[in-house]
Amino acid sequence: MKIFKSIKWRLQLWYGLILVVVLAGFGLTAYQLERNRQFRQVDDELHRRIGVLGNALHHPPPRRQDENEQPFDRPPPGQFPDAGPPLQRNRPLPEFNLPSWDAHFFDTNDPHGYYYVVFGTEGGGEIARSANYPNHEITSYSSDFFASVNRFSQFPTPATKPPRMFNFDNYRETADVLPSGETIWVGCSVLPELKELHRTALNLTAIGGLILLIGLAGGWWFVGRALQPISEISSTAVKISAGDLSQRINVAEAESELGQLAYVLNSTFARLEAAFAQQQQFTSDAAHELRTPVSVMLTQAQAALNRERTAPEYRETVEACQRAAQRMRRLIESLLALARLDAGQEALKRLRFDFSKTISDCAELVKPIAEERGVKIFTTLEPVEITGDSERLAQVVTNLLTNAVYYNQPGGEVRVRLESQGGMAIFTVSDTGAGIPAEDLSRVFERFYRADKSRSTGGNGLGLAISKAVVGAHGGTIEVSSAENVGTVFTVRLPAV
Amino acid sequence: MRILIVEDEPDLLRSIAQALREGGYAVDTAPDGEDGFYKAENYDYDAIVLDVMLPKMDGWEILKRLRKIKKTPVLMLTARDQTRDRVKGLDTGADDYVVKPFDLPELFARLRALIRRSANKTTNVIEIGQIKIDTALRNVSLQEKPVELTAREYALVEFLALHRGEVVTRTQLYEHLFDENESSLSNLLDVHVSNVRKKLGAEFIVTRRGHGYCIE
Repeated sequence: MKIFKSIKWRLQLWYGLILVVVLAGFGLTAYQLERNRQFRQVDDELHRRIGVLGNALHHPPPRRQDENEQPFDRPPPGQFPDAGPPLQRNRPLPEFNLPSWDAHFFDTNDPHGYYYVVFGTEGGGEIARSANYPNHEITSYSSDFFASVNRFSQFPTPATKPPRMFNFDNYRETADVLPSGETIWVGCSVLPELKELHRTALNLTAIGGLILLIGLAGGWWFVGRALQPISEISSTAVKISAGDLSQRINVAEAESELGQLAYVLNSTFARLEAAFAQQQQFTSDAAHELRTPVSVMLTQAQAALNRERTAPEYRETVEACQRAAQRMRRLIESLLALARLDAGQEALKRLRFDFSKTISDCAELVKPIAEERGVKIFTTLEPVEITGDSERLAQVVTNLLTNAVYYNQPGGEVRVRLESQGGMAIFTVSDTGAGIPAEDLSRVFERFYRADKSRSTGGNGLGLAISKAVVGAHGGTIEVSSAENVGTVFTVRLPAV
Repeated sequence: MRILIVEDEPDLLRSIAQALREGGYAVDTAPDGEDGFYKAENYDYDAIVLDVMLPKMDGWEILKRLRKIKKTPVLMLTARDQTRDRVKGLDTGADDYVVKPFDLPELFARLRALIRRSANKTTNVIEIGQIKIDTALRNVSLQEKPVELTAREYALVEFLALHRGEVVTRTQLYEHLFDENESSLSNLLDVHVSNVRKKLGAEFIVTRRGHGYCIE
């Protein structure tokens, strides 16, 4: 069932269940207390009346005692209790005379009023009975009563033992055995009390039901409110999974647990969106970089094929195509290198080598290009041993050096320095070029980012990104600082051996 | 017809320019945004092929500035093919949009359509009396018989035909038929006009002395 899987419904169910149990407990206790109170009143009245009836008994003077007669009406020893029929009493029955001032206790006209019946000594006959005595068989339970009385004690002592009460139909009765042996039963109808109790029960049920309803409704509202962020979160998540990454959860209560969850989710979504946008930008940039050389090849070929050409013209076309193809090859290699570094697939060699040697080799390689542009390279290299992939690091060095040459001014200088400092190999390349504007400085390591927006320098905008990835893979850092019209300094720090 | 190409990739710029020149167009080139805008501002081109990604000033900026002063048809050339880029281009005032890599024949067809539209012509064929000019095939026929014209002569006929009824000054003709690299020898134009008159009839091009030429 779907409904029982819903958190809202389950919470509601448990909540309702607990509410019902609590209310039922309270209701039953209240009912019981009320019932006890009512019955105690009745019982108190009944006991008052027993005393009245006891006073109304008048004992005739005792007869002279027979010599054979057992004292105190006791059965002969050895015959107790089932040895035979109880001994015939020989005391005369007392007289019962309810004084007129006590008669109001037993209003015979009231069908619900108090009634009584008085028996003689144990097994003795009935002495008196009120006119409103209900028409029911008392002997059955009275013999029961006597049996219980006889079993435990000779005579019950009403003062210490709680009086026994009897209920039957709508009547409540109590009995007392006087020290003189007479038994008095007093009872009354408890119909009004029962009706009262019934009403109380109905009231309690009604109030309980009302509280339950209010509680359930309040709970529903409250649970709904508490779960509102969840539905908002899920609707946002649905929109995001449908592809709209710009969606955010509307966080109303930042303090609650769900508010915090929403906050965490929102920042996750933001990072996802940024990563997606970056990926998209990268793909679009890569496509863009590939499109230009493809256009060159296509237009060169189409223009050349328009009509017959001379051999030098064909040669020029083929050379242009070659340049475009080489540009594509460089781009593809760079993209592959980046992809491998990203995926961590590139198994970097971990060999110990002198970094200064790598740098001087690279400087030799770059020198011809530098001379072409009238740029001088000065090197100050201190031998520093590092562990890593010398080929990859050579690419980084070459990249930084060629950048320093390309973005320099004619007659400019490139200063290359390597020193060991605090267990780090610090490699700096500074040029005397135009510098990088401050707003572009933080972005130079981004993929396809070019400060000058021009493709004339021949780079593909990936060199610094790759350098950063390679240095990062060696546990190092690469930084840039620049002053416009003064020059740019790239600093690479690598852990020395 | 004189066309400006603004493109920073030298090989691409050279091949487009070469192909257009071979097609009889006068072609000016600019390798960056600043140069491109300067030329677009100072000459009345029949169309401009404008790359978006340019050093110094990008294509959007050139277009934005140019639209404030001129209505020259502009064909944007870009490597970005996302819809929002195309929409941006067209909204900024570009007349057409070609995504790299493109085919040269398509680029030329779009250029011809741009020039035709800017002259308020809806078809490729212009008929003037017995003379029919097909701007797509770039040929001219007289009484259904094809007439051999050089590329420059054809360009002269087409330009005058597209501005039929207007007096076209010699300066205008120079600006639209010759590119920046050709020295404007004043008699070169007269040679072309007299050649066209020989082929299509003396009264085809009317000389307005002191003003220029006209096709009536």
